[in-house]
Amino acid sequence: MSDVASPAAAQGGASPTFLRDARGLQRKLVEEYYGRLAPSEKPHPPVAYMLVGGNLTEIVRAFGYDVVFPEIVALNCAIKHQSLENILHAESLGYGLDVCGYVKNDLGLQDLGGTTSFGQIPRPDLLVCSFSGCYIYVKWWEALAESYGAPLFMFDVPYMREEAPRKEDIDYLVSQLWEFVHLLEKRTGRTFDMDELKRVLAESRRAEDGWVEFLRAGRFRPSPIEAYFESIFYMFPINVLRGTPEAADFYGVVNEEVRARVKEGNYPLPEEKYRVLVEGVPPYTNYRTFWDFFRKWGAVSVVATYPKVGGLFDRGFRHDPARPFESIAEYSLGAYVNQSWPLRRQIIADYVKEYQVDAAVIHGIKSCRSFTAGQGDLRDWLIHERGLPTLYIESDHQDPRYFAPAQIKNRMDAFFESLEQRRAVAAAPGVAPA
Amino acid sequence: MPQLLQIRPESDGVAAGETGPRIEISSDFREFLQADSVEQLVRLTQEVLADPTYPTVRAWRKTGGKAVGCFPVYTPQELVHSFGMLPVAMHGGGENLEISRADAALGSFLCSISKSTLEMALTGLLDPFDAFVFPYICDVSRNLEGIFSRVLPQRASHMLHLPQNFTSPATIPFLVAEYRRLIEKLERVAGDRFSQENLRASLEVFNEQRALVDRLASLKRDAPWKVSLVEYYLLLRLGGLLPREVHIPLLRRALTELEARQQRNKDAIRVIVIGPFCEQPTLELLQLVEDVGCYVVGEELQMLHRWCPRIEPGADPLESLATSYVRTPVDIGVRSTPTTKGAAILSRVDDSKAQGVVFLTAKFCEPALEDVVLYRKALDRRGLPYLHMEFEEKSTTYEQARLQLETFVESILFD
Ligand code: SF4
Ligand code: SF4
Repeated sequence: MSDVASPAAAQGGASPTFLRDARGLQRKLVEEYYGRLAPSEKPHPPVAYMLVGGNLTEIVRAFGYDVVFPEIVALNCAIKHQSLENILHAESLGYGLDVCGYVKNDLGLQDLGGTTSFGQIPRPDLLVCSFSGCYIYVKWWEALAESYGAPLFMFDVPYMREEAPRKEDIDYLVSQLWEFVHLLEKRTGRTFDMDELKRVLAESRRAEDGWVEFLRAGRFRPSPIEAYFESIFYMFPINVLRGTPEAADFYGVVNEEVRARVKEGNYPLPEEKYRVLVEGVPPYTNYRTFWDFFRKWGAVSVVATYPKVGGLFDRGFRHDPARPFESIAEYSLGAYVNQSWPLRRQIIADYVKEYQVDAAVIHGIKSCRSFTAGQGDLRDWLIHERGLPTLYIESDHQDPRYFAPAQIKNRMDAFFESLEQRRAVAAAPGVAPA
Repeated sequence: MPQLLQIRPESDGVAAGETGPRIEISSDFREFLQADSVEQLVRLTQEVLADPTYPTVRAWRKTGGKAVGCFPVYTPQELVHSFGMLPVAMHGGGENLEISRADAALGSFLCSISKSTLEMALTGLLDPFDAFVFPYICDVSRNLEGIFSRVLPQRASHMLHLPQNFTSPATIPFLVAEYRRLIEKLERVAGDRFSQENLRASLEVFNEQRALVDRLASLKRDAPWKVSLVEYYLLLRLGGLLPREVHIPLLRRALTELEARQQRNKDAIRVIVIGPFCEQPTLELLQLVEDVGCYVVGEELQMLHRWCPRIEPGADPLESLATSYVRTPVDIGVRSTPTTKGAAILSRVDDSKAQGVVFLTAKFCEPALEDVVLYRKALDRRGLPYLHMEFEEKSTTYEQARLQLETFVESILFD
């Protein structure tokens, strides 16, 4: 999510382009963030560890905590090709091959002292487990609690099985939020300031508006953005810095540049041949190579589910200073993987329509059951019930040993070749479109 | 201890869609009631388990009964029972089921129970069921429900969110509401309204079963030579397949026989078996653990029957049921620990006076795998021996497992 190696030209495609000012600004925000976390002489704010899905950033921020997201630290390591060492170390501690790569990357890193090339990760003073969409969150945070002896707050988020939450879900969540606030008051000696929370939420909302504007740009034809490959860079502020003015301003810069792209006709690819929906977590360790496999065929990711792991803002949700706790409760329910399969299928069906999608690529993660268990069934549903050409491929998000480039490339080439043939047949004179 | 099982030669398996020889059970379950020894009872149970068409559920349906499949680890069976329906513990396809379609739908790196359960749904083997409940014990079980809702659209399925925050005063009211959500579906399946009185009566039935299960577990802990692990397991397993009113007298009779058994204490090594709380190991593997010279004096098998102590129905039986889930002392891999994993394993070792721990975890079962690391650390600090082995539903060779277990036992004996 921060730096990647310098853009390499894709075989048969142009170099990926990023939004220049936004990229620069994003890099600066990432550096400042990790710089701030680094230990220094002066007294440091307390540190809360949190998970992306259903996180309570606004509340801990209102109490002056710094927030560390181990998932994001882990993916930063992976994208910088630094995950394998941590994973191997975790395996030497007993974590098996089938344990989530994030967990192993993080626990390995923590046991090795928490030093990364982008900064020193501080120890937690508080562990906030937002159990929203992934059971492994519980296991991971239990391991951190045992290793650091830090208190753990378990924020239990009901799984979403109906489109709208029920009153009892919201009541349960709001009650837990108050308990959380009382815990923070006790730990920090500060009195909860509702006005401060409302101010933070207003900034969150502003960032959310900007983020959604960026995501929705994928609806244009051609799309001025790569909704999967570029989003993972621009997710940092919405997930990590949400509630700060910097995060909100950031999306102003992003959207300015997206508008300029449209005006100047400067699109991610010279020719958008296929509008693709991507489902699943990216293979961070080989993210650029994976992107190249799309670019080669003129395939642009116009919409993706992964950027919604931190919240379904594009489906209308916003934090609301007028309903602070209720809206935080609603937010926590909205992590993408906290949606049941019928809801996930509905979201995807809507995307296919709204973004005029030609095909879908599902990237399954070997060590992530939450996202992946059932993606084969999704593929079957997309092909047979929605008539959408769909490819399923599998590797890992964190462990480079499971990314088989030749095999993945072959499968993708065969897939896009078949799409090309299908188009050629449909365009041939005298052939009625299927 | 009677020799009940032979390690079977490699099974041919049953191809998808085929069911092999089917066992027919009478609608009054007389085959079980007529079994005149524990040995006969467990043999019959073994035969029933080898038939993936759920013979006891088919028998129950002969008189028009409805059945609800409950995925492990914990479902409030009392709720299902209060509608006069049969709650059935679904424990996958066992050794005799070939997986052909589920792999593609579910994914490769997943436990066998999830795949075999889906395979059974796709091949009609779950036809005797009217509905299914999948508790949120892990992401696989949770997602499996989402697939069931697509592949079996005519049958109700429900994902039950079991809470993980056990300190909030809001948790019990939430769980009551969550149970009401399940009740809405059960009412539709049963064609009947929920009744507090019926639930009260059901709680008493399950209290009775639980008390007998506890008595059996105590026997296994205190006089493990009187009941083998396989017998113990099959007697419990049967409890999730039969109407509880049938299982209760059977178990009571079996206990009387077992408690009176005159067996010699072999002075085997006392171990606890941790990890198989959801997918169940094969009978052969369970037998092997004791064959090599261990007594299993504590384990996580068939947790469904052992989730909580007696439930007093109280003024609001639904609230009592929810409270029992939240307040249970059970601390296993699918429930956030109220203390630490280290403390949890050590107290179990102490309570059972175990000399070592055998971790038997289902392949790809991440909740179990992650706990093992923390458990091991605590055991290392105490200098307690342990062994970790993974299993799948379809294991055909046990040579490697036997070797590992023998080495483990020897290491304790000659320590
Ligand atoms: S959602 Fe998947 S990748 Fe994320 S922590 Fe859970 S198992 Fe790991
Ligand atoms: S065996 Fe483990 S991973 Fe599989 S469904 Fe059961 S708890 Fe989940």
